[in-house]
Amino acid sequence: MGSYYDIDAILTDAQKVPCTFELEVPGLGYLDGNSGGDMKKGTRVELPLWLGEMLAVSRQLGTSPLVTLDLPTALSPRVINALKADPRTVDLRSLAPHFYDLGARILELFEEEEMVEVLSETFKKRAAEIADHAHNPRGALGESADFLRGLDETERQLFRAAHDSAKSMKSWMGEMKK
Amino acid sequence: MEMVTVVPRQRLEGLELLGGPTVPLHPPHRASLPLWLALLLKRQRRANILPPPWFHPTALTSILDIERNKTDQFSPPPPLPPPATGEATTSPPFLLSSTADAPDGALPYHWLELGEILLDAAPDDVVDPDTVRRLMRDLREIRMAKIRAGVVVLDGSGMVGLKGVGGMEVGEGRAFISGVVDGLRKIGTSREQALREREVEEGDDAYDPVENGDEMDL
Repeated sequence: MGSYYDIDAILTDAQKVPCTFELEVPGLGYLDGNSGGDMKKGTRVELPLWLGEMLAVSRQLGTSPLVTLDLPTALSPRVINALKADPRTVDLRSLAPHFYDLGARILELFEEEEMVEVLSETFKKRAAEIADHAHNPRGALGESADFLRGLDETERQLFRAAHDSAKSMKSWMGEMKK
Repeated sequence: MEMVTVVPRQRLEGLELLGGPTVPLHPPHRASLPLWLALLLKRQRRANILPPPWFHPTALTSILDIERNKTDQFSPPPPLPPPATGEATTSPPFLLSSTADAPDGALPYHWLELGEILLDAAPDDVVDPDTVRRLMRDLREIRMAKIRAGVVVLDGSGMVGLKGVGGMEVGEGRAFISGVVDGLRKIGTSREQALREREVEEGDDAYDPVENGDEMDL
């Protein structure tokens, strides 16, 4: 994990997080669709995670940070509550294509004990479901199709791994029959 | 190198193999041979393979019952032999688990591989091959379902109990299980970090008096 060229890590860093500017920045208004103007203090804009993190964390001693980060909508309390209620019905992919990677990055920045628990539980419960789907393909129809479409990128890789194992096993068994 | 018991139909002198010499074959005396040689002789109709006792419908049925009753663990592996007195100690993959005098109440490490091979190469030597084939499939499915369900109790550091799981099953589950563990560790990174920092802090506190004491001595 964490190679410089890891495309998943790059895409994770490109996901938007809400930031609030704490200072007025001259000439930065184009970020808010106000080209040529100034960035007003207190404006909320969605910035890529890597930029927001830089601006929020890399401050010099004694000065207030340039922006403050908020939780992205994908990890809002509403989503966390939905995950607590039933992890299987949440469409993670529409929330964030790299949901867990984003979660891990956000947890580095925020102290959220509960979120770690919820995300781990979600991942485990959904992983068991994924394995079942990978081994007993019930066709791309109905409920299972909805679930599989809602997998985030990590879960898709997991599905592929489980599916490939089952497939290799089947082909070995098939070769035996010849 | 799995050994199986064969009942030869023809005489064959002992062979000097890389894995050691084989016993000379005198029909109708049973002999233990490496699986590949047994398969070769079987194909040439020069021997019959005697399936291991656990590969019998009744034995498989009782193992299947154990699997059904214990939902949170696998049927136990065959018992280990009493510790050898010499330097030759053996552990599951190298035990003679598929000869005619192997224990009958447990699935050995290579049960799936050996079972499939025997069903394929020597169905006429297996007692009631259709029932055995069905039982093997049931066993495989119920055990794979357990492996898959085991991830729910995982945490980033621990492992599901895989006692009694065969080599092929471990191989099949490996990609999935390691993927889950990787994912969990990634999510738990921040918590681990926090724990470690706390430990370091507490460690510092604990060492402080000692350091102070050292300074006093100086």
